Amino acid sequence: MTKRLLALVLAFLLLTGCAGRPDWQETEFFAMDTVMKLRLYGTEEPTEVFGTVIRGISALENVLSVTKEESSVARLNRGEAVTPSEDLRILLEKSIALSERTDGCLDPTIYPLVKLWGFTTGEYRVPEETEVQNALKIIGSQYISFENDMISLKNGTQLDFGAVAKGYAAEVCAKMIREAGCSGILTLGGNIQTVGEKPDGSDWRVGITDPEQPDESIAALSLQGSHAVVTSGGYQRYFEENGVRYSHIIDPATGYPAQTGLSSVTIVADSGFLADGLSTALYVMGLEAATEFWRDSDDFEMVLITQEGEIHVSEGLSSRFSCEKEYQVIEK
Amino acid sequence: MKTRWWILLLSILFVLFGLLTLFFFLPRAQAHSAEIWSEGKLLQTVSLHQEQSFVVEGSRGSNTVTVKDGKISVTEASCPDHYCMKRGECDSGPDIICLPNQLVIKFTNENELDATAG
Repeated sequence: MTKRLLALVLAFLLLTGCAGRPDWQETEFFAMDTVMKLRLYGTEEPTEVFGTVIRGISALENVLSVTKEESSVARLNRGEAVTPSEDLRILLEKSIALSERTDGCLDPTIYPLVKLWGFTTGEYRVPEETEVQNALKIIGSQYISFENDMISLKNGTQLDFGAVAKGYAAEVCAKMIREAGCSGILTLGGNIQTVGEKPDGSDWRVGITDPEQPDESIAALSLQGSHAVVTSGGYQRYFEENGVRYSHIIDPATGYPAQTGLSSVTIVADSGFLADGLSTALYVMGLEAATEFWRDSDDFEMVLITQEGEIHVSEGLSSRFSCEKEYQVIEK
Repeated sequence: MKTRWWILLLSILFVLFGLLTLFFFLPRAQAHSAEIWSEGKLLQTVSLHQEQSFVVEGSRGSNTVTVKDGKISVTEASCPDHYCMKRGECDSGPDIICLPNQLVIKFTNENELDATAG
């Protein structure tokens, strides 16, 4: 009798031990100068899918990186003419279109300015006014030339896909995950991409970083299905000189870090490329222009946080948004 | 020999009981939002910090859900027993359930994030 009871108790202990086992598989890897995390649902054998996604991202990185010497973008930036890969051609066309749509608030040829401020090397410095003016002269999509299936850059302009590459990569990976019959969530250094549904039908819960306390989240989004969620904020990379903070998001119109009173912009869209690009462009625009831009669009939703700590949420997201602080809903 | 078994068994039970007590009676963190499920489908997630009131129409009946002062409650219901309304205003704890209309309100927490953007 005693033995039976003991066996029963032990069995019960074993059962409770199993109950907490998650129904997902996770891996972390380094690429595109950041940590990437992939969580997959719906597969017992994730190794193959993990491998496909990691290979996909490094293939993109080998084409798009500004720092890898043999990448197509690095060769273009050295003045060579390049036959573009499919991804490079798509990304260039999309970037030029988005640059036009945002009135140049996002510019794929911003690299001369990014370099000038030291944001690629980490050797930050405030450039002279004349240096900024000279760099501005060679910035603009009109300096990208397409001839006989070859691409080259004119007048010494240089490409930097830093504002869209991770979003685009997330979009490409989402397709791979879907094709493998899985659902999941992909984190590319703060760019989030959800793919499909969780097996239990519950929402994807995506936090938004608090610009004042980047270790904490200020709000959470509850999403169903596949979405890209991307935040751009001055807090992500900056340096200080003589008490002035210079952030890494440079306004292509002035050549100086954008100072429009926003501390972060979060975009939710179907396309990772669009979410990534618009988060930067709308940060450069500022609250009012970004609000008008959203009213004229129908392919994204947004959360804007101002330097005063005000939170503005676009209408389409308000039922999926939760936050301890007061927030305002932007209506169409 | 027999006494030892009993001591072992009793101590295991004692520890188990202690853990269960902790699990059920520890104060729960307030939730920040709640999921509204109707007839097995997730309709929407509401923030408990945004005051609102809305009607959930199911094929079996309707419930009025109200969010006020960080708490959520069912304030009107077409069901006969009104158990859902008797739960009152809640911000945590077990799901609020209306069995006849198949309405479930689940509390969710910001801590349970899948990922964070930024």
